[in-house]
Order: sequence, then C-alpha cells, then structure tokens
Amino acid sequence: MESAFEVFASLSEPTGAEEDWRYVTYDMPFSSLAPVGVPGAAIAPGPFVGAITDRSGSALIVDGTVVEASSNALQLRRLAEIDADRMTSRVPADHNKLAAAHAAFAHDGLFIDVPAGAAVDQPFLIDLQAVTPGVASFPHISVRVGENAEASVIVVYRSAEGASLLMVPEIDLDLAQGANLRFLSLQNLDHAAHSVTHLRVTAGRDSTIRIGEVGLGGHFARLDVGLDLEGDGSSAETVGLYFGEGNQTLDYRLLVRHAGKHTSSDVFLKGAVEDESVSVFTGLLRIEPGAVGTATYETNRNLVLSEGAKANSVPNLEILCDDVACGHGSSVGPPDEESLYYLMSRGLPRPAAMRLLIKGFFQEVIDRLPIGGMEEPIAAEVFRRFVTAQGEGRVA
Amino acid sequence: MNLALKVSGLVAGIPSKQILNGLDIEVPFGEVHAIMGPNGSGKSTLCHVLTGNPAYEVTAGSVLLDGTELIGRPVDERARLGLLQSFQYPTEVPGVRLREFVFEVAVAHGLSPEEAEERIEREAARFGMDRFLDRSVNEDLSGGEKKRSEIFQMAVLRPKVALLDEIDSGLDIDAVRQVAEAVEEMRSPEMGTLMITHYSRILRYMTPDRIHVMIDGRIVDSGSRELADELEAGGYEAVRQRLGLVKQTTAEKRPSDFFTETPFDV
Repeated sequence: MESAFEVFASLSEPTGAEEDWRYVTYDMPFSSLAPVGVPGAAIAPGPFVGAITDRSGSALIVDGTVVEASSNALQLRRLAEIDADRMTSRVPADHNKLAAAHAAFAHDGLFIDVPAGAAVDQPFLIDLQAVTPGVASFPHISVRVGENAEASVIVVYRSAEGASLLMVPEIDLDLAQGANLRFLSLQNLDHAAHSVTHLRVTAGRDSTIRIGEVGLGGHFARLDVGLDLEGDGSSAETVGLYFGEGNQTLDYRLLVRHAGKHTSSDVFLKGAVEDESVSVFTGLLRIEPGAVGTATYETNRNLVLSEGAKANSVPNLEILCDDVACGHGSSVGPPDEESLYYLMSRGLPRPAAMRLLIKGFFQEVIDRLPIGGMEEPIAAEVFRRFVTAQGEGRVA
Repeated sequence: MNLALKVSGLVAGIPSKQILNGLDIEVPFGEVHAIMGPNGSGKSTLCHVLTGNPAYEVTAGSVLLDGTELIGRPVDERARLGLLQSFQYPTEVPGVRLREFVFEVAVAHGLSPEEAEERIEREAARFGMDRFLDRSVNEDLSGGEKKRSEIFQMAVLRPKVALLDEIDSGLDIDAVRQVAEAVEEMRSPEMGTLMITHYSRILRYMTPDRIHVMIDGRIVDSGSRELADELEAGGYEAVRQRLGLVKQTTAEKRPSDFFTETPFDV
C-alpha cells in the first residue's frame, strides 16, 4: 500500500478543473510553503476566545503543535505521545492533495475522550492558531464521546495578522451509542491565511450531534464536512453562517450520509458576500440503501451585497432508498425588496432598514447555534463587518 | 387648523395604466373615515400612492399631510412626517424581532430610547402583543395577530394619519370585531384614520364618521352611516344607478368582480 507521503507526492495541486474545486481559485502551492519547525508565539485572545470563560478545559495548538492542554472533566492525550496507529486519518489520503498532506505530515494533535455516561455541561475550548508566516501546519483533533455521554467543544481558528500561511486541520468526532455532542466552530483567521479543514463525524446508534459554524476569516477557507449517520436513530443538525468581504473565498462542502435506519439531519446555512468575495455551498444528502425512515433537509440562503461578489449554492440529493422524507431549499440574491419596503414604510431610512435586515438574517442562525453564551460576540463581529462596509460605501 | 389628510385631484397609476382618475378626499384630525369600493376600483393603488410605493407614478394632484405636501417624498420620510400604513398582507421578516424593530423605528421618529421602550411595553400590553415582542416580525402569526401587530405599531408611533388597507380581510368574525375595537381604541384627536375596505362587515363593530364610495379611481359619493346601509341593501350597483354612472362593460370585468358586487358577506 502506498504511504500517505507517496499519495501526496503523486497528486497534483488543485487547478480548478476538478469538480471539487470548480467554483474556487486555490492559490497556495506547497512549493511556497515550509514545514513547521518550533511553533511561534501564541497570539492574544480575540473577541471569541476572550468570551469563553466558563469552560471545562482548554487546549492551545500553535502551528500544529499542542502547546498546552488541560481539563477537569475530559481525558486528554497528545497525539505526539501515543502510538502511531492512532494517528490514522479518517479522510482517505487520495481525497485530494491537502488531505494527503495532512495524512503525511500531521505530527501532533489532541485526543479528547469523554468517558461513557459523563455529562459535561461546560464547553471545552480549543484555540487553534497558526502564526508563523510561510508554513503549513496540520493539527489533528479527535473527540470520542462515550456511550450516553454528553459534551460540548468549541474550536476557534485564528492566525497572526498579515501572515500568509496554510492550515490543514482534521477534526474527527466519534459518537458512541446514545452520545450527545455539541460542536461549535468559530473560524476567525486573518485574511492572509489559507485553510482547508476536514471535519468527519461518525454518529452511533441514537446519538445526537449538533454542529455550529461561523465562517468569517481566511483568504481561502474551506470546510469539508463528512457526516456519517451510521447508527440507527442517530440525528445531526448543522447550523452555520458565513460572511465574506474583500477577496475572500469561503468554501463549504458537506456530505451527509444516512446509513442507519430512522436517522435524521438538518443543514441550515446562511451566508452573505460583499466586495469581490466568493462563497460556495455544496451540500449532498446521500441516503444509502436500507436507510428507511430517513428524514433530512438542507437549506442554504445567500445574500449578495455587492455587484462584484458571488455566491454559489449547489444542494444535492442522492436517494437510494424508499420511505424517506427529504428536501432542500436554496437561494442566492440581493436583500429582499419587499422586506426592505416594509421596514422603510415605518420610517426607517434605507441604510437603517438594510442594517436591520442583515442583522435579522444572521440572527436566525445565531439563535440556533448549538452552544449558548457566544451570541453577542458573534452577532457583534458579523454586524460590524456590514456596518463598516456600509460606512465605506462598499454595500448599499 | 389643517386637515390630517387632504387629497386633491390625484391622478396616478402604474406606468402602463392610469388607475386613479382625479381623486379627492379630506380626513380631519380625530375622525375615522372609510373608503369602500368594488374590486378594481383603485383602493389598493390609493394606499400605495399615499404611502409612496415607488412602483406607482403620480401624474397630477396633491396629497397634504397636516399641510405638508407628500408627493415626491420617499416612503420612509412620509412615515416620519406622520403617515403610516397598515398593510393588507404584512411582510414576514425572519430574525428581526418586533421589539427591536419598533424600537429602532420609534427612535427614528424622534423618541428618546427610554420613551420608546416605555411606549412599546405599554401599547404591547394594551393590544395584547406582549408575547410577540421577542419573536420575528409577523413570522408565524395568524392573520388577526398580524393586523393587531400593525395597529400596535401605530399606537407606539402615533401617526397623524393611519391608513388601514383591508384591515379586516382574511379574518374570522371574532378577529374582525377585535380589530374594529382596536381601531376605535386607537382613535385620538391628534390622528385621522382612513380605512379602506372591501366589505362593510367591519363597520358593524365601529362608528366611522364618514363613508366614501370609490368607483373607477374616484370618490363618487360620500355620506354617513346610511350610505353603508344603501350598499348593504343594493350593492355598488345601486349607488351607480342613483348617480347615473355607466358600469364597466362585461368584457373588461374580471370573474372575481361578479362575486364581490355585494359588499356584505352573509
């Protein structure tokens, strides 16, 4: 069998011709990057990390190396300190060159075990940083939630100001029977950073996974989600927002696979793009043969706020089983004129009506995020982005 | 003293069709007036034109709100000057909470934040909107609740003219009575109310000061309660015959007109 490195060496960089990369321009060749040496100095807490004070533990990962990790409730192990076969990647190395790079080069990360039956209310915080310009880092995080255990995890992605670099994290979430995991991802990388994150979820019988995603940062930021509802009666909810500005590319690829019987999933993603930014939502709901009683839905709504911005929305269904209920809804366009008119008819000038509309658009997502307590800083960051653009005349 | 609303010689429509053909109406402060008319008479157009919907064009005439000309001003400015419309089909705005919306609007109308909050609480209690304040504007509300929300917003903002477009449409009989009571409750010496209605059903539960009949884009008759009684007995046809108005030819009529000639549902 080929080693991950051999696969990495044999694959080409994405050119945009591949189906997986057709809506985006990826321009961070490995030839321009160096491997990680000693991790750089951590950056100061930003608006999100600073707000997560009530927690069951935390970890700091810088440039792919675990710098510190501690928890009073969860069992933590560093990937660098355990046997190599536990480092096996859940993403096939030949998925693409970035996935192969992760499999070949990931050298550290974190295993988080939630013991069976444990119920941990407070979230565990992972501050995932990349700080050294010109390096590629490959942090690996694996969360295993034991039988009937409950936990929540927040990952905050950050990078040093102005640092052009590449971060290729892999995050694996495994839920045993009856487990319940709430997972919130706050991607607030600097606009010079590139990231390609693979998130893989395996849901056991009667388990429940709730995923929240907030995507604000990165020059190029892809989140590639593979959600396997393998256990009978398992369910998943994925709720997220993204907001692109400047020349950002925010790229979401979701594959929700229903394999067990009577599984359910809901994907609800809303985004806005302004300036020359680009967003992509590619969501495939696949219902495997034998997955009777599946109930699944995906919704993707996009606001295009500037003429030069572009949102791509590609929802898909692949149904290989009868007796299922599924559907999708997708929209791309400017803010709804009818809603604006209604708000203005009460006396709000157009810019104020627009601000209220944008706030409401994202509030619907923020209200549904799986972990509470972060609503205000998230709403503030999102709103500030729009108000700044409006103040500078970049949007209507 | 100025009239709350004085509309003179209003000619307007959409670019391809003139719908209002020289309309006049006067609403003094403190009074509630009702405009009744069959489908296609231009009632909705009148609302759109008064409110300032940019899809409509005004080619002649004047609309004075407490002496100030509204024609040519954008919709939001008209609202701040004191003309508010309650919509026949209020728009649902997901994610925008009613409390936040009305607060922002009240501040835009010049209220202090404290005053705005205080009025929102008071009027929400008065119109039974308390439990909707922290929900999205109009989302998942019944027809009657939406209309009540519109009246609640007006009660907070206290316009000089309240324009109620088909405030009774789509409501069951209990909801019609509640809305009628809310309109009467809102009556004030500082406000004139113009309600536009298809059916005179709602007039059974309230006492408008004057009733106007609108046909073919003009007010053809105005009067007191007896006018509503005449309409109830003989429909718009009776008014047409009394006034010697030529009826639209059948070819121009839409099928729905045949079902709405009698303004009263029984």
